Order: sequence, then C-alpha cells, then structure tokens
Amino acid sequence: MVRRILSLRAGRLAAGILSAIALLAIFGPLLAPDNPLGSSSKTLAGPSGQHWLGTDYLGRDVFSRLLDGSRDSVVGAVEVALVALVVGVIPGLLSVYLGRVFEWTSLRLADTLISLPFLVFAVAVTALLGNGITQAMLVVGVLVSPVFFRVSRAATLAVARSQYVEVALISGASVNWIVRRHVWVKVLPAVAVALAQTMGVGFIVVSSLSFLGIGVQPPAPTWGGLLASDLNYLHYQPWAPVAPSVLIMATVWGCNLLADAIRDVSGETGRALINTRKAQANGLGAKRIPVEGRV
Amino acid sequence: MPADAVLQVTDLDVHYGKGRRRAQALDGVSLEVRRGETVGLIGETGSGKSTLARTILGLVPASAGRVVIDGEEVSGYRQRQWRTLRRRGVVQYVFQDPLRSLDPDVTIADSLIEPLLIRGVARGEALVRVRPLLERVRLDEELLARLPGELSGGQRQRVAVARALVTEPALVILDEPVSALDSANRVEVLEILKELRTSGVALVFISHDLGSVAGVADRVAVMYQGRLVETGTTREVITAPQHVYTRLLIGSAPTLRSGAASRADRDALRAALLTA
Repeated sequence: MVRRILSLRAGRLAAGILSAIALLAIFGPLLAPDNPLGSSSKTLAGPSGQHWLGTDYLGRDVFSRLLDGSRDSVVGAVEVALVALVVGVIPGLLSVYLGRVFEWTSLRLADTLISLPFLVFAVAVTALLGNGITQAMLVVGVLVSPVFFRVSRAATLAVARSQYVEVALISGASVNWIVRRHVWVKVLPAVAVALAQTMGVGFIVVSSLSFLGIGVQPPAPTWGGLLASDLNYLHYQPWAPVAPSVLIMATVWGCNLLADAIRDVSGETGRALINTRKAQANGLGAKRIPVEGRV
Repeated sequence: MPADAVLQVTDLDVHYGKGRRRAQALDGVSLEVRRGETVGLIGETGSGKSTLARTILGLVPASAGRVVIDGEEVSGYRQRQWRTLRRRGVVQYVFQDPLRSLDPDVTIADSLIEPLLIRGVARGEALVRVRPLLERVRLDEELLARLPGELSGGQRQRVAVARALVTEPALVILDEPVSALDSANRVEVLEILKELRTSGVALVFISHDLGSVAGVADRVAVMYQGRLVETGTTREVITAPQHVYTRLLIGSAPTLRSGAASRADRDALRAALLTA
C-alpha cells in the first residue's frame, strides 16, 4: 500500500509535505532562534536579519513563535482527526451489523452530535474536565465524528447487501471475516478523504479555541493563534498572516493529496491504474484492459 | 426420508412483509433432490424459484414446513448452527450475474479459495486444491492473478461455478446460471454442468427457460405463483405436460423439439390458466 502510494506523484508530494510538517512539529520548538514568549520594545517591526519574519504587537519574534507553535497546532489537529476517526468509523461499520437497536441508537446519537455547536460545547466540557489541548480536542473530535460515522456507514451498507458478501455468508463467513475481506477496502478511501478534511477542520478549531483561550493558552503560540492576532494589526503589517496561512494550507493540502493518493491506489480503480503503469513500463504502451458490463 | 436424498423440502411456506403487506411467496412446496441428480426448477419471474433456493440456504426464514439438508433438519436453525453447517460446504450457490457475485477488489485466486479460507484451510493448501478445478471448468491458470473486471462474462461465470465446487458440495443450486451469458458462453457453461452430473454432485438448476434446462436436467419441477405445480422426469414433463402452465411454458419455448404452439393455442392456454 505504502509503495503504491509513493509510486504516484501526488503520493510522493503528500509524503514530502507531511513529513516536513511532522519534522517541524517535532523539532520546531527546539529550532526557535529567539524566546517565543519574550517581548521587546521593537513592536510590529518588519522582517530583518535579526527577526526573519518581523515582530508582533508585543515585540515577540514571529519566526520563533511560528516554530514553537507548530507542535501544539499539528498535535491538536491530529488529535481531532484521530478521535473522530475512532469514534466515528467503528460504530459506522457496526451499525450495519449489530442489529436494529444499535443501528437506531447510533444514528440518533450521530444526529444529536451534529446538532451540537462544537465551540460552545468544547467550552462547556473544558470547564468540567479542566482546560487543556487534549480535553478540548477530545470534545471536538467526538463532535466531528458523525462525518466519519456517516461516510463509513454508507460505504459499508453498499457492500453489505452485495452478492459477493452473500456468497461469503453462504460459505459460513463471520461478520469479522466479511468486514476484513470485503468491506474494509471499500470503506478506506472514503474514510481517508474524510480524515484529510478533518485535519483541516482541526487546524481551524485549534486556532478558534485558542483565540477564545481554550486549549492552548495565550501567550503560548499556535499557527491559528498567530493568524488571529495578526488580523488585528493588518493595517500595520498586511503581509503578516501569510506565513501561518501558508503553513496551515500546506498541511491541509498535503492531507488532501494523501487522501487522493489513497483513493487512487485502493480498490479496483487503483489496480487498473497500477496495471496500466506496469504495462507502460514494460513497453507495451497503454494497453486498455477490457472491462465489460461497467459504464 | 430415503437414504440417498441430499435435500428434502416438505410443505414449505414463506411469507414476505408484515401485517397487511404480508405476501405469500411459497405455498406448500415439497421437493426432493437425490444424490447426483440434476433437477430443473422452472417458472416465470416471481414464481418463487429464487425464494425457494434462498430459503434452503437459510437466507430467507420459512414460516412453516421442513427443510432437511444431507440428513440434517435445518428448519429451526439459529445463526451459529447455520454457520457451522455452511462451513462444511454441503450446499453451494451460483448467482445469475457473476460480475456482482465476485468482489471486484479480490483476485480470482482469492475469490476461488475464499470458502476454504473461511473453513480454516491454509492459503497454500487451498491454492493447491483449486488447481484441478480450473481444468474442470476450463479456465486458464494465468487468470488466477486477475481481477473479475479483467475477465469476460463467460469466464467469470465459470469462476463462480468453480468456487461453488471447491468445498466438494453434495448439492449446488444454480440460479439462472446462463441467463446473463451470450449463446457461445451459454453452451460452454451448460457443457460444464453436464460434465458435473457425472461427478456425483446434485444440481438444482433454476431457470425461466425450459429450453436451457431440458438438456441438463434428469427431472423438472415447475413452479407457478409460489406453488410447485408439476414434477416429473424431463421427458415426461416435456412430452406429456399435465398442468396448464407447463403446457403454456412448453408452447412458448421455440428451442424445444416438440415445437412451439401456435399463437392461438398459446392464447387458449393463457385463458385456461386464468380461469384455473
């Protein structure tokens, strides 16, 4: 799977971008040249040799803050996506197989979660569980999970009623077998796309929450937090939001590229793609594989 | 029950739906299939052929009646008991449309050995066991690495037949196995089925077309509106049909040597069927 993804240009690009972001998240805080929290009298200074990206309204080095904030931002977004993935996909699959009571309950629960405004809810829960990035992301993850629930349920439903699943049933297959062998491959691409999107949502949520003082506490920096404070000084430093925006965009873009690559290499379309590539590599030209009965 | 019966269905009733929308799909159907015998199950769309097959396999619950498979009474079976029975692979099923009955993401080899893998047979051994079957259904070994989408319709249906045979079943139910195929492939699959008869597997061949069944089946059972209206040896049913519906069916089959009835005859039969 990994090799197949890397054989695509989009896959390689995604891997490159995401590993750069991951390195930034791991080593960023160590690389910061200046104290990200240390203010000075040089407020709202432009880029210079000393301050590569200038200083903010309290005279703090923006470049250092960007590097220092990368870990919290990335970890927060990943947490949201992973929590949503686990909380959403597993019940999504099970809702098809565990009978009507579970199906009904989980569907109504998903509807309920969709109807809750997650910023407000996150505020309420952090008031209960204590204010921290993990608590906040846990809440947001649970509230975003209906996306995964619905995506995985829809994909599972389509497969569960197919004849090849019935054939497996006639041979005495267990639900576990059917999910592993027939359902999972069809659910994975859809889930991958949802995951990439949720990562994007995660960045926005982390920044929204830190703007409200939840999760990452000011003055600790995050990419979203930087963006929010930059916006207040836009008329002094119109270029300031560019750096954090570029980082957020690059990460979300990387995730989307990865999702595309996963979708392209999994399932039958993926196989067909790989086969044509192999045929081309073998000098046979793009020999079309006859596919009957499919539009 | 005679010792040599692989399948015995007695007074089977099946209903679909609930309350007011409850509809009877099968009404007192009794059928017996002996070891190594080929039975053609004929009837028009909606006559209950597929429902009968699916009830035998436990995919549709029966409201009354008994089903005995290979000496085992399965009528009140729960999920777990069904699973144990199915893993023995006594009864297998071949669907009409092989494109939909083969997982598009699974290679032919993996589709073929799936029933064995489910049973717990190791992959390597399962692959060895599949080889001789390929010859029986005239499939090339190089197709094993391909996906269903890369095969022709006839090849796919032969894969489906081979998959039904890997568990060495006593009974294979074929639901319109040649209806989705063109005539050349149809002949080829029918040839394979004829050869199968000699190997001692009992076949239930479901079709709406008496013509394709006549050459293969020892006995024919005719279904009409959820009831089994006539059973007999193929020759008896074709040459001396008892029920009006059977006569109409034979009259409408241009492929049979007894010849098609004239339009006026068919209209008369249809009228008789409505009043019957």
